[in-house]
Amino acid sequence: MSLREVQKRFLADVADTATESAFESPGMRAYARNYHGKLVEALRDTYARTLLWLGDDAFDAEARRYIDASPPVSWTLDAYGDGFVALLDARFPDDPDVGELAWLDLALRRAFSGRSADTLGPASLVADDWDRVEFVFVPTLQARRMRSNAVVIWKALDDETLPPASTVLPVEGAVRVWREGLSPRFSSMGADEYACLDLALAGGSFGEICELLLRWHGAGRVATEAGHLLRAWVSDGLVTALRQG
Amino acid sequence: MSLSQPPAFRGFGLGLRIPHYAGFLATQQPVDFVEVISENFMVDGGRPLHTLDRIRERYPVALHGVSMNLGSVDPVDVAYLHRLRALAARIDPLWVSDHVSWTGVDGFNSHDLLPLPYTEEALDVLATNIAMAQDVLGRALVLENPSTYVAFPDAPMTEAAFLSALCERTGCFLLLDINNIHVSATNHGLDPDEWLTGLPLDRVRQVHLAGHMQRDGLLIDTHDAPVPDPVWALYARFAQQLGDVATMIERDDRIPPLDELLAELERARGVAAASERRAA
Repeated sequence: MSLREVQKRFLADVADTATESAFESPGMRAYARNYHGKLVEALRDTYARTLLWLGDDAFDAEARRYIDASPPVSWTLDAYGDGFVALLDARFPDDPDVGELAWLDLALRRAFSGRSADTLGPASLVADDWDRVEFVFVPTLQARRMRSNAVVIWKALDDETLPPASTVLPVEGAVRVWREGLSPRFSSMGADEYACLDLALAGGSFGEICELLLRWHGAGRVATEAGHLLRAWVSDGLVTALRQG
Repeated sequence: MSLSQPPAFRGFGLGLRIPHYAGFLATQQPVDFVEVISENFMVDGGRPLHTLDRIRERYPVALHGVSMNLGSVDPVDVAYLHRLRALAARIDPLWVSDHVSWTGVDGFNSHDLLPLPYTEEALDVLATNIAMAQDVLGRALVLENPSTYVAFPDAPMTEAAFLSALCERTGCFLLLDINNIHVSATNHGLDPDEWLTGLPLDRVRQVHLAGHMQRDGLLIDTHDAPVPDPVWALYARFAQQLGDVATMIERDDRIPPLDELLAELERARGVAAASERRAA
């Protein structure tokens, strides 16, 4: 048998959950246990608060389901759980808190070791034509709509205090995650800020953002709301540059 | 292109793990070097690299990888090698090491160090991948003997003969894991002393000392326990045959307070010194 055949067969055996305990060879059982154990441990590490929320048994059952469906392909175990949020979203359609907690876990993990960038201070907010200004954000910035109170639950779990019961929010909100200096951070947003940030991340100009705010808040408040957004994005360390579109 | 060679470095060090970062940075610990897992720092930015930079200001660092997949019939992942090269350029490590094993095939990565049959075909595969990795990294690699739980009875070479041929063909060096020798030899009914017969000891640059567990009638290389007596005894027998090498306590799970590991390292210093006195 060629080395390629040996390796393909070995790996297929090791990864097959159904045969993990069926090997006559204790050595193959050891490799199978190592394989599944490392992947479960990687998911538990990335999704630490989701694990606390679901409990060991329920989390491990979902982890096994994910492992069976998603063989690891990256050189780094850190990338292994990228699809786990989608699995939880699909598995718990009536409990949005589960997938949203997992998204927060993953986004914060990615922010932890994402690319660094220098950010703009308020003194650098200078532009000739603000309508055409586009924003360049820190590479670690991510945002997601939130249907549940997952942000509050995550914070309680992280603080090791009793988390509230999950609820579906009366008005959909959102959260953004980024890294400021060396510290991953997150902040809740209203649906209006999420829409503006989403537009800005897609390359929308400040003028287009103001038009969006006009639809949300009316002409009388556009300048105030736009000023709030700009101050928040800069003071939170989200903006690395202004670009004239 | 000439490859940079790992220096003959005599010293005693620890594997650097997260619970001990603060201790290593707060004060100068009595170690000659630390070893870090390369992949943990092959990231884009943030605290991991910031911490490693500060560690490097205080200690020599060896980079030890687990994902080079050198024994696979797949070619080495060039993007991985470029990330590793960038990390090495940043850290200026003592050397870059990985394992005589494979982790995946056809793009499927098990994230485990899997065993090779010691055949000419496996030697060809490894030698080709090592040559490519050394070429991209610009340095000779240091490669570790694995722990194995299955054997390939039809394979014609002993592990020592395989490693010896590998050094000869590729110019690589060796990281001798004494625990892995004990684990593999015990699991396959071999005499650890015979296991080492024919090994080119002049190619050894580093030694790992670690613990293991027993399960299912096998020794499993778990790195979750103090170095056990049989491993100390094996180290004592071999320390006198090794030249200037870097000896390290490797602990990856159930990580004890730093003082306990430093005490184990002190024992390693004592064993090495006694071994050398006996040889003199």
